[in-house]
Amino acid sequence: MDPKYRPATDGTAPAGAREVDLSVELAGLRLRNPVMTASGTFASGREYADFVDLSRLGGVVTKGVSHEPWAGNDSPRIAETASGMLNSIGLQNPGVEAFCAKDLAWLATQDVPVIVNVSGHSVEEYVRVVERLEAEPVVSAYEVNISCPNVDEGGMAFGTACAPAAAVTRAVRAATPRPVIVKLSPNVTAVVEIARAVVDAGADGLALINTLLGMAIDAESRRPKLARTVGGLSGPAIKPVALRMVWQVANALDVPIVGMGGVMCAEDAVEFLLAGATAVAVGTANFVDPTVTMRVVDGLAEYCARHGVARVRDLVGALEA
Amino acid sequence: MGPARAAQRGGLVSCACSHEGAHPLLERVEVLANERVTDRVGLLALHAPRIATSVRPGQFVHLRIAAETDFILRRPFSVHRAGGETIEVLYQVLGRGTRELAEAERGRVMDAIGPLGTGWEVGEGVSHALLVAGGLGAAPLGMLAEQLAARGVAVSVAQGAPRADRLVARELFEAVARRVVLATDDGSVGERGFVTVVSERLLKEDRPDVVCVCGPEVMARAVAKQAAEAGVPCKVSLERLMACGIGACLSCVVTTVHGHKRACCDGPVFDAGEVCWDGSEVPPRH
Repeated sequence: MDPKYRPATDGTAPAGAREVDLSVELAGLRLRNPVMTASGTFASGREYADFVDLSRLGGVVTKGVSHEPWAGNDSPRIAETASGMLNSIGLQNPGVEAFCAKDLAWLATQDVPVIVNVSGHSVEEYVRVVERLEAEPVVSAYEVNISCPNVDEGGMAFGTACAPAAAVTRAVRAATPRPVIVKLSPNVTAVVEIARAVVDAGADGLALINTLLGMAIDAESRRPKLARTVGGLSGPAIKPVALRMVWQVANALDVPIVGMGGVMCAEDAVEFLLAGATAVAVGTANFVDPTVTMRVVDGLAEYCARHGVARVRDLVGALEA
Repeated sequence: MGPARAAQRGGLVSCACSHEGAHPLLERVEVLANERVTDRVGLLALHAPRIATSVRPGQFVHLRIAAETDFILRRPFSVHRAGGETIEVLYQVLGRGTRELAEAERGRVMDAIGPLGTGWEVGEGVSHALLVAGGLGAAPLGMLAEQLAARGVAVSVAQGAPRADRLVARELFEAVARRVVLATDDGSVGERGFVTVVSERLLKEDRPDVVCVCGPEVMARAVAKQAAEAGVPCKVSLERLMACGIGACLSCVVTTVHGHKRACCDGPVFDAGEVCWDGSEVPPRH
């Protein structure tokens, strides 16, 4: 790794940063630190191996995988917006068989917990993906995607009402003894109700938030900037919404939360922990700076050292009134 | 790409990435010069010693133009020329990123990832290459023309632009190519009309072994058809909106007969024969 991008904990961090206990326990998973990658922004990690020491991540959350290959949406698939971006990739993926043969085979050579993001058009398809993945020992847990705004069937349709959200969760729960984390949509009126339904259906943890449904228009051409017209908004623009939803759910339910939405630096990660998240996921920031996850890990240790926090888990829910 | 190419980039971190031999680099680059070359195109010279020594024609750099700003994404730019410790980039002012870039003064430091992507791989058996440049598509073809000429390949260039003063890199082509034939929409220099009229003629007259194309997609598509009819291999560089630049985000896909491929790492240069010209891509306005 280029010396300029070496971890700051190699001697330049403030005194005590190396002694901070960064480990957290998330839905039965012991993570070396609370910094994970957000699904769809990190592929399966291989593309980032030049920039990131994967063994220093809390976990890798893979790009969503379905049973059959999905081609994804037409181009343009992204549009930049103020302090963020819209995407409508549409869960392009090679299907679970190719995913096991290529992505998981590679991840098995890496020293990092693997959480596979699972997608489907129907409850049955979610289950079939999980059943196939049960044969892969490298998988530590599942993240169930009921919140993608970029597909016509399934995706967000499952995550915006209590009954279908619970149905998917219950079916996946029955298909695996591994931890099940359900990724929630912010495109709802009452996120706590959906969260409660999912937890009651057997989820071990929650991930929030997925992207916010939005759109962008090119005034000159009078056309939508995305081929699919609408897409998911991510990046620093959505952090206040994400913090609010994490805080609401953490206050209402006793369930571990992976907080995400606009995490660009360690300070953002601290804010999510204070709001009640046990871990955080870094998403869009990976596109801006492919080394950002390393900076967040190092910055968390520095923050703790600076504030006399011996264990990073002591920050979880430590928001002061 | 073979091990020779990987070895050429020695001294880098060990890599397990999917594109064998490709080692994306992070480099702090410094603006050496930034000047207008036409009414709407700027030429940026960057001190980028590592990229300069490893970049190949058709590859690009992914620039973080400003760190503290509300437009957060990087911008990809093909490398126009590379020599010593310097790379040159041609850019057109189109949106927030390129407006900011136009303001960048000498001494400004930016964060670059590169060289990225798969460029033009022109085999040893090629003795005559036709390069077809439309508008700012001339940018990556500049470096290709220089390198091909340096190794003794006869280079013909068909270059088109709306008008004479927008024929960027024309002097470079005229310095290294055996033949440069121009076309302008207004007829202010060369033939009046599209460059595709010129490329069709040069395909017949010069009988090149390969055609390398960069320009508007409608032009690239027409040239690809001409090359296919002439039975000449054709490699086109395609432009897509891009986020990560390293193959992860799947924003920049090109529809091919083999399914969606990523412009950032499978391309931006593709065999024309595999591209499905579905017309779904509108011109990027980044």
